[in-house]
Amino acid sequence: MMSFYYSYQPLIDFFLIAVGLGYSQQLALRAGVFSIATAGFSALGAYATAILVTRYGVPVPAAILVSAVVGMAVSYVLSVPLARLRGAFQAIATLAFVQVVIALLLYFESFTGGAIGISGIPRVMNTGWLLLAVLVTIYVIWSINRTSVGRVFNALRQDDSVAASLGVPIKSYYALAFVLSGLIGAVFGALRSLYVFNIEPVDFGFHAMVASLTVVVLGGRNTLLGPIAGALIMAILPELARPLAENRGILNGVILILVITFLPNGVGDELVYWLRRRLRRAPKTMSKRKEGADVVAAD
Amino acid sequence: MLLQQILNGTVSGAIYALFALGFTLIFGVQKLLNLAHGAIFMAGAFIAYYATAQGLPFWFALLLATIATGAISVVVDFVAFRQLRKSGHAEFAAIVTSIGVDLILMNIAQQVSNTKVLSFPFGTFPVKFFSFWGMRISLLQLTILGLVLVLVLALAYYINRTSFGRQVRAVSSNEHASALLGISAAAVYRQTFFIAGALAGLAGVLIGLSFNSIHFMMGEPFLLQAFVVVVIGGLGSLQGAVVAAILIGIVQSLTIAYLSSELSTAIIFALLFVTLLFFPNGLFGRAGNYAGGSRR
Repeated sequence: MMSFYYSYQPLIDFFLIAVGLGYSQQLALRAGVFSIATAGFSALGAYATAILVTRYGVPVPAAILVSAVVGMAVSYVLSVPLARLRGAFQAIATLAFVQVVIALLLYFESFTGGAIGISGIPRVMNTGWLLLAVLVTIYVIWSINRTSVGRVFNALRQDDSVAASLGVPIKSYYALAFVLSGLIGAVFGALRSLYVFNIEPVDFGFHAMVASLTVVVLGGRNTLLGPIAGALIMAILPELARPLAENRGILNGVILILVITFLPNGVGDELVYWLRRRLRRAPKTMSKRKEGADVVAAD
Repeated sequence: MLLQQILNGTVSGAIYALFALGFTLIFGVQKLLNLAHGAIFMAGAFIAYYATAQGLPFWFALLLATIATGAISVVVDFVAFRQLRKSGHAEFAAIVTSIGVDLILMNIAQQVSNTKVLSFPFGTFPVKFFSFWGMRISLLQLTILGLVLVLVLALAYYINRTSFGRQVRAVSSNEHASALLGISAAAVYRQTFFIAGALAGLAGVLIGLSFNSIHFMMGEPFLLQAFVVVVIGGLGSLQGAVVAAILIGIVQSLTIAYLSSELSTAIIFALLFVTLLFFPNGLFGRAGNYAGGSRR
């Protein structure tokens, strides 16, 4: 067990970071906000912590706290215009946000180090701390799910006009989901910067955006298991495909297409729904691919 | 100098328009984001490069690349989108499957080119300059402008005036109702994907020729730009896409010339954000395509 841990330690650590960013992405999606801003939040969090720690000697916990506040503030400001848009347009607007963040990181070279980024960040994170952060995140989301807030998020995703007609102030709840997403994204961005020694704007570009979205869509958008399952697939795939050497990208692509085509809810969600159906022993006739499955998930 | 920059911007904007037209056609008809569009664009440049390397004349390589990328795009539709249209979650799922296709195409291109940056041999296209009013324009730029103009007009005629164009518009506004009228949605999707792919491939060849660099990641910045064009021009609006693309080309060449290239990206995406806020329909979108409208 220990030798397994030592040989795969970096893989496990990056898996934990991916799970955290996955939860940030999932929170927005399950409240019906089609946001891909997680990469931008993690960039802000990572740079805030890195600059404070390396330039100003701020203690690490305080720097992470500042990152969290920055993430929440920016996501709150962003949630106001975002509430006016729908669907793919939210995706495009958040994509624009990430691109602007990256362009500004490149432009203000004296402050952010430009394309070279910031190096010499002390490495204070290890598997234990990352695991703790992931567990705290899971606990927070699990608690939210047990309150009316979690039910409102599910209602917003399924039909926001119905939610509004039942007296739910939908804009505030959209904002709440988005701020939580920004908070988690910024904190895990900060943790990542305290793990990898140096950060540069490319780390948070199109690929980062696609990576956290892929984790959630592959794993599942509604259940707590989703991001874990998705991040696990994304961590294991490159290892499995190692013998294929240069053709790894082809295998990754094929698996993405196959999983989404045949398990459209994502591996984690489908597993949870299947287990629930088994446990209740009630022959469910409703289609598992339609929103009926969401109702099962919403309790 | 200013006029010269505007002219250069117009030419690159015209090429962006070719790329964005296909993207907006798919987005307008199916409401799906096709993230593999950048890879198809890249494939066009690659096919034309290897065709000319085999000694084929350039005009033939251009034609070959256009048709081949159209065919690739139809295959992409078959592999990545056809199944999803039947399930309810196409909006999210299409993003992931098209990323999958993107990975596959980029991986193949990386293998074929050994991760090298390729360029067309000197003299593939005659190098010739014309001067007027103190500006210089190359024969290549003139050809690009002419070609784009002809293609845009042909596409506009096709969509607005022919029976097939009416079918495309019918399917984009209501797939079920048009199926009742005997229109095959699958055939319409195939044709829109072919046109979109062919336009992207052609744009890839022209970009590869005018910037003289072809590599497996060349599609990505153009894909990001296509988002901006689609939003500023208005969802599914073809003339809007052309105007927005040329506008972006000009803004880009002016900011690069007078400010800096990093700032140019920031300005373009800030422009996108502002447009989404104040003109959610885009500059040319119709009210029916309102971005704030229902998700279903």
